Amino acid sequence: MDNVRFNFPAPEIDETVEALRMEVRQFLREEIQNGGFVPVTDCWCAGVDLEFSRKLGAKGWIGITWPRQYGGGEMSALHRYVITEELLAAGAPVHAHWIADRQSGPLILSTGTEAMKRNILPRIAAGDCFVALGLSEPESGSDLASVRTRARKVDGGWEITGTKLWSSGAQHCQYMTVLARTGDWDPDKRHEGLTQFLVPLDSHGVSVRGIRDMSGVEHFNESHFDRVMVPDDAVLGQVGEGWKQITSELALERSGPERFLSTFVSVERAIQQAAPSMQGRQAVVLGGILARIRALRAMSQGVAALIGEGCSPDVEAALVKDLGTRLEQDVIERLREFWPIVLKQGYGDELQYLMSDSLLRQPSFTLRGGTNEVLKGIIARGIGLR
Amino acid sequence: MEQTDQLILDTAHRLFSELSGAEVVNGAELGEKPEQLRQAILECGLTLAWVPEEAGGVGGSLALGFNLIRMASSFALPVALADTLVANLLLARSGLEVSDRWAALAYDGGDLPVLVQGEVNGVVENASGAVESGFLVVPVIEKGEVRIATFVPSTIDMEHRESLAGEARTRVILRSAIPGQLSEPVNDMTEDGLRQFCALVRASQVAGALEKMGEVTVAYVKERSQFGRPLGKFQAIQHKVADIAGESALTTAAVEQAVRSLSSHSEAFHGDSVVFMAVATAKVVASEAAGKVCRDAHQAHGAMGFSFEYPLQQYSRRVWCWREEFGSEFYWSERLGMAVANELVAQGGDPAPGNAWDIVSR
Repeated sequence: MDNVRFNFPAPEIDETVEALRMEVRQFLREEIQNGGFVPVTDCWCAGVDLEFSRKLGAKGWIGITWPRQYGGGEMSALHRYVITEELLAAGAPVHAHWIADRQSGPLILSTGTEAMKRNILPRIAAGDCFVALGLSEPESGSDLASVRTRARKVDGGWEITGTKLWSSGAQHCQYMTVLARTGDWDPDKRHEGLTQFLVPLDSHGVSVRGIRDMSGVEHFNESHFDRVMVPDDAVLGQVGEGWKQITSELALERSGPERFLSTFVSVERAIQQAAPSMQGRQAVVLGGILARIRALRAMSQGVAALIGEGCSPDVEAALVKDLGTRLEQDVIERLREFWPIVLKQGYGDELQYLMSDSLLRQPSFTLRGGTNEVLKGIIARGIGLR
Repeated sequence: MEQTDQLILDTAHRLFSELSGAEVVNGAELGEKPEQLRQAILECGLTLAWVPEEAGGVGGSLALGFNLIRMASSFALPVALADTLVANLLLARSGLEVSDRWAALAYDGGDLPVLVQGEVNGVVENASGAVESGFLVVPVIEKGEVRIATFVPSTIDMEHRESLAGEARTRVILRSAIPGQLSEPVNDMTEDGLRQFCALVRASQVAGALEKMGEVTVAYVKERSQFGRPLGKFQAIQHKVADIAGESALTTAAVEQAVRSLSSHSEAFHGDSVVFMAVATAKVVASEAAGKVCRDAHQAHGAMGFSFEYPLQQYSRRVWCWREEFGSEFYWSERLGMAVANELVAQGGDPAPGNAWDIVSR
């Protein structure tokens, strides 16, 4: 395939989707007014509030697409899209359950055992159970296929040994999906012999240590697995199929609204603050930011619609993430023209707080979930250059 | 898309493939008028895509016309099909007779010429397609209401100029000019609605041209070898091509959304706030992308892309022109920013979280 012409169809937004949007929006306004949460930038990676996650669970807004028997709401992907975009736009503290709602839950649904689905999914949907990703390692960042964590077959299960790095929020999580090598390392078949396991983090031999990032948040973790025993049915899907599982659902992960709205709260506050005295140059800059966000939203929704039609828009999704994450950074650079960033905190000024926090967090935007250089490689392959 | 729409687009694609092309485009700029192409387009009725069947047209949807425009620009078509499509739609909407000839659109997004007691005064700086056309279609304004007037070229003053891409852009000077035809005030047509519609036409043209520039670049870097391997194998080049694909895709997404927004509105030239926001988005993104894609595509092509003979320049010169026309990214950004600010202020009261999101997510 070497197509560089793309189409981004309109999502089918019916009244139930719009009604849900209004309900979520109203709920968030009330939460903010009642002091339920204080909006934060990059909320899906930096805003942890277990109580808030439980509130969303009680509303039925976690795992909303899953079957009812597993605690879901059997609604469409678009319903989920609307919930996530409203949460992001408001800067709601959603980090605790984000990965489980977006990734681990669907993974368990498609590859987990019936017992996992019955026991774990309803707790995730209730906002009571969180799952961390165990992918990167000290020696494996962008080159994920080089993971060294090993799972050795033993009587009655598997014994896992290795170190996982950058697992966001693991200190709040009950489980981690761990990518481990179960087959022999073959440099010619790097993507084979990898298996995903669902590992309870209270297992014997697991230790989790927080890592403070440059913004001062301690959501990263280094997790050690020292001969951790898990039963046979901790395997997610097929032994040796781990790579395929990880890459098959990337389109959704890469094209969601969290790839262009991470810093939107800063834009929102900036516009509100500037509105009464808005004039030429400032309108150009702020309007330009809004235009690009709106275009990315159309693109992201188009990818969601393509996925809904059963297509695999991998290149389109990589494009959304590459463009969107750069925009998240660029937004702060553009706002600096009117609101310079000097102080570490807001000291009472909400916009300053959001801006400095956005700036301190922005290096991660174009790294997490696959660096933009890796994404560009995927795009290049998709259009026939590799 | 409807089946008849697809048939028309397929016909157009065949026709453009056969009768246009790099040599025809360059030839047109050097003075060899593409008569065969011009004639074939008229014979197929493509200039009447937006004209209702009862007025002798094709009766195509807005989406069909915008897709046709996007396709034409991906051929760098050396005829002003887009502008004639708009001119004919204006004639049809205003109840004037639509002709099956080429019509020039004497409107460039600037202030409309003013009609007073049957006489028109004003200057249109960059009317497009006027040189080859049998007559000019000129939106005029009288007491805040838009009417459509037509003029025969011999009755008015014109200064012929060329755009960056060598396309006709004519300065039309109307001094107490008496129209050949003059419509009644057109219902639901506003000056800004007209401007928005035409801005979306240009954004669609940019989208089509950028897609083609992406294809041309991919083909070139696959074929051209340096240092013993194809350019496309160099990561630095791959990243440039990925950037081109991204800007082009973003433009397409914004344009398609704006066309949907316009289509869902009963009056294409009314210019309401939702359509405004979609059109402003499309033109900002398209105009920004035009500059970025030109830079990356030319860089990937090396000196070859700089030559007149190689077709890349036909597209880069066009999008450099189109990004300015009917409002650049700076113009539409400013308007978008002001529109959101004004609405926030009009809501009054304390700023509530989410108000700006509420406006931009419509």
